[in-house]
Parts: sequence; structure tokens; C-alpha cells
Amino acid sequence: MLRKIFAVAAREFQLIWRDAALRRILFFVSILSLLLFFAVYNAQVLRGIPTAVLDLDGTPQSREMQQSIENCEDLKVVLYPTNYKELCGIIEKGEAVVGIVIPENFGRDVTEGKGSKILSVIDGSNLIYANNAVSAVLTVARTHSAELGVKTLISKGVHYSRAQYALMGVVFRDEPWFNPTLNYAFFVVLAMALNVWQQCCTITASYNIIGEMGSRSWLQIKALGISKFLFFFSKSLAHIAGFMLAVIPLYITAFGIYKVPLECSPAKLLLFTLVFAVSVHSLGTLISALCSDSVNAVRIGMVIALPSFILSGYTWPLEAMPVFVQKAAKFFPQTWFFQGFSLLVFKNPGWEVLQPYIFVLMGMSCIFYLLSSAAAAVRS
Amino acid sequence: MTQDQPVVKVKDLVQRIGKKEILKGISFEVVPGEFYGIFGYGGSGKTSLLHIIGGIEKFTRGTVEVLGFNVRKTERFKRHQGIVTQQPSLFRDLRAGENIDFIGALKGADMKGAADLVERLGLKEHLKEPTAALDAGLYKRLSLACALLGPPKLLLLDEPFLGIDPESQKLMLKEIRDFVDSGGTCIACFSSMEVCGAVSSCGWLEDGTLTPMDPSALREKWEEEIRNLYEKRDGENA
Repeated sequence: MLRKIFAVAAREFQLIWRDAALRRILFFVSILSLLLFFAVYNAQVLRGIPTAVLDLDGTPQSREMQQSIENCEDLKVVLYPTNYKELCGIIEKGEAVVGIVIPENFGRDVTEGKGSKILSVIDGSNLIYANNAVSAVLTVARTHSAELGVKTLISKGVHYSRAQYALMGVVFRDEPWFNPTLNYAFFVVLAMALNVWQQCCTITASYNIIGEMGSRSWLQIKALGISKFLFFFSKSLAHIAGFMLAVIPLYITAFGIYKVPLECSPAKLLLFTLVFAVSVHSLGTLISALCSDSVNAVRIGMVIALPSFILSGYTWPLEAMPVFVQKAAKFFPQTWFFQGFSLLVFKNPGWEVLQPYIFVLMGMSCIFYLLSSAAAAVRS
Repeated sequence: MTQDQPVVKVKDLVQRIGKKEILKGISFEVVPGEFYGIFGYGGSGKTSLLHIIGGIEKFTRGTVEVLGFNVRKTERFKRHQGIVTQQPSLFRDLRAGENIDFIGALKGADMKGAADLVERLGLKEHLKEPTAALDAGLYKRLSLACALLGPPKLLLLDEPFLGIDPESQKLMLKEIRDFVDSGGTCIACFSSMEVCGAVSSCGWLEDGTLTPMDPSALREKWEEEIRNLYEKRDGENA
């Protein structure tokens, strides 16, 4: 029996390796994606957001405000328009993402303690830029307001420490956990590469049954009398081994070379990935058992694999999706993998937290393989 | 199974595909060491009959026993059979030699004699060639080599000589004769009479019925059919 298992698995591995397109898809596309994504997110944290400052006041106070904006490392003042229309043109042309308007009488109002309103115009067409810009502008505004308030109170005879206490009585101290520098690359790059990997795996597994039963060599398999279970089990072993061989370079590159933090042990992550590889293979196998030909199987595989990352809740939270989407997403192994992956990489929670993810993935594998067997039996 | 028991025993075999009855209650037996030829025109149901015996195709009614096993109930007989299908059914993704190794492994065959078999069938120089690139003669020789791995007790051949070169036919025929002479049993389907003299017994399959015939009588029937065909055509032309 071992000779048969080895022969089928070796032939399957050979088949993947000799098919240049399949080989590239499975072994090179994911790692290339990872390298590309790391190059794209090279900055890791968004800094130096192009900013235009329109100073309509021209007083020492407004110049001080301008200085505070220039000193903010998240913002980079690139232009100083002279009127509002010019500022609008700059934002429209994309020369700046943030436009800050210091109003007339800013200096007078601040000196008289009346308070003043600064307008910040933010280009919302790129949400990542916009969110970072809002955060940076708020930081500048908060700091500068506090400084002005302290100065005003001091000018009215209040002692410095009392003035400071009055204005900064409640201080929010930011302390991001698990990704302390809020590094975008750490958060998204490996996950996106794993998304490409899981798509390649689903597509490869989509050939599993129809690729054999739809070919003339199936006559040989039938005539040889080899157990169908043993045959597809051996093929699946080769597929899953291939999936793992394709993911290991991703992990080595991400954690070893790019130093993405990994809270859990590599063995734990690999084990969890193996459980997912089996379940995504079972999904592909089910697709291959239900489709009428290989082309359709690949199409369906792509239709399922492509949106699964977005539906997984890794980037946009699952809880913020409509209830029916949340329910649908839970039928995909990808959802459980990416949620579990995030937990393992950033937090490394205990077994009791991870257990449901593993059990659901294993349960899905059993169900998908059983359904595949039934469909293959009907087809046979 | 004793030496006297038939290797293949077909009784009242009916095969219906859709509304069409392809095989209408066929019965025949093939004993050890026999080279049985099933002759008939294209589309007469020869492939179906062979596939049913080989356990590849399910059938509507009747009983088929191979090596004492009921083919409906078990697949155990398959380890003792080798098959050459009419359509190319070797593994296209593998090279010629890899097909031999792969099929040998799946059969659980002893590969000691494989090198000699390859040599005798003139395949030695072609083992590294992709299977899909082999010409028809080489492909059929390779199919026969794969079918003979084991070696099997029963060899099933579906149009083994159709569209191949004389050299390949000669090599294959010798190998089949040697196999039968050494006690093996062979059932082969043909739609021409070229090798009618090589079979030890045969039957004519037409309209879903298999008529047992002596090879020389079959040849006469065939020649008469051809004569009738020509006369009919000449009559139509006149």
C-alpha cells in the first residue's frame, strides 16, 4: 500500500512541477507577491503627508501655528497658497492631501482668549491617507490649543503648573499593543501574500477530482482496481505537501528577513497553517468533484477564493459587515484562518482561544471531503 | 480457481444505454490459455463488452465472472488483469518509462521482468519520451507493456492493432502469443480480419448478439460480407 501511496503522490508532485504555469502559480506567485507588497509598504508607517497651509492672518500667532504644523513629522508642508481658491486647486490636483486654513483675526481671537476655528480640508479619496491625515491634524490642533490655553492663563496671572493642570487635567495616553508602532506593513503585507497563496492552493485543489475523472487515463485507474479513496488520499497528500512547501518561504521571508513580529512559535503557526491547508484543499476538492470540467472548476475556485480575504474580516472587521455576510463568511475556511492567523502572529493567545478555530477548520475539512467523496461516487 | 474453470464467464449479459440495448443477453466462456477474439463492426458494442469484463463499465443485467470473482461484487480480479484500451488512456503527464513504473506500482507488480519486456517490445530507446509524443505504434506497444506488467492472468485488448505500423503489430502479436503460450488468457476485440488466424476461438458481435464461430468460418463470413457490400455498391452505381 505504501508503494501505491508513494507512486501516486510522487506522480502528482511531478505533475504540478512539470506544469510550468501551475508550478509558477503555486511556488512563485505568492513569494513574488510578498516581495512586491513589502516594497510597496516599505515606509511601514505613513509619514510626511503632503500639506498646504493657507495663512489668512499673517500674525506672529498664526506663524506660530504654522510652525507647529511644520514640526509635525506626519505632515509635510509642501505649498503655501495665498487664497482659498488656490488651496482648492492644489487639493484637486493632488499636490497636497491636507489643506489647513488659518483664518483672519486668528491672532487677535487667540490673544483675547475667544478661541478660533482652523479649517482642515482633507482629500478623502484615499482613505488610508485621509485617516492618517485626520489623526495628524488632530494631534497638532490638540497640542497647539493646549499650549495657547496655558499661555492665556499665565497671562491672566495663573501659575504655570495650575494652568497646565487646568488644561491637561485629563490626559489620554496612547499605548498600542501587539503592533506598538502601528506598522501597516506588519499588519497587512504577510496577510495579503497569504491571501495570494490560499488562492493558488484553492485553484490547484480544484483540479483534484475532475482533473483525473475527466481524463482518459481514468480508464486505467478503474481497470487497475486501486481504491479511489487511496488514490485521492495520495494525491491530496502531495497537494498539501506542496501547499506547505509554498508557504514556508513566505514565513521565512516575512519573519526572518523583514522581521515581522511573531508572537507564537514558528511550529505553532505552521501547525495552524497545515490545518488550514487541509481545509482549503478540501474546499478545492469539493469544487473539483462538483464541476463538469477542469475549466469550470478553476473558475469556481477563483470566484470563491478571490473575495474570501475581504470577507474574512482581517482588514474590515467582520462585526461591521451585514449579518448575512457575517454568516456567509463563516462558511469559508479562509475566515477562520485569517482570524486565527492574526491572533497567533500578534497575540499568541492560549490553546482555549485558538481551539475553536482549529476545530472549525478540521470540521470543515471532514464535511468537504465527505461531500467530495459522495459527489465523486455519483460521478463514477 | 482450478485449471478447468473458465477465466471469464459471461451469462445473459444485457447492457442498455439510454433506450438502446447494446448487448442483448450475451453468454460465453473463455478458458485458461485461450486467445479469444471478439469481432464485429465499429459500434457493435465490442468496447462495452470488454470494459464490462474489465470492470470499467457497469452493466444492466446478467452475470460476469472473472477468475471466479463476480465483477459486480468485487474488484479483486483487477490485480490479475491488464488492459489495452482503444482510446489512448496512459498517463499523458508522464514519460513512457514513468508510465511503466507508475502502472507497475499501482498494480503492485514485480518489476523484475519489466526491463526484458521493454526490450522485447522495442521501447528501450523511447522510455524518456513524453507519452503524448509517441506515434500510434509505439503508444500501443507501451500500452501492451503496461498491461503485461505483473504479469496478469487475463489480458484485455481493445483494437490493439488499429492504425499501427506493421513492425509494431508484429512485435505485439509475438508478445501476445508468448503470453498465451505461457498459460495466460487473452480477450481481444477487432473490427478487421488481419489477425483472425492468430486467435484460438472467436465470436461475431452484431445487433447485440455474440455468435461463436470458428476463426476460418469467421473469415469466410467476413469475406462474404465484403463481397455483398461491393455487389450492393456496384448495383447502386449501375
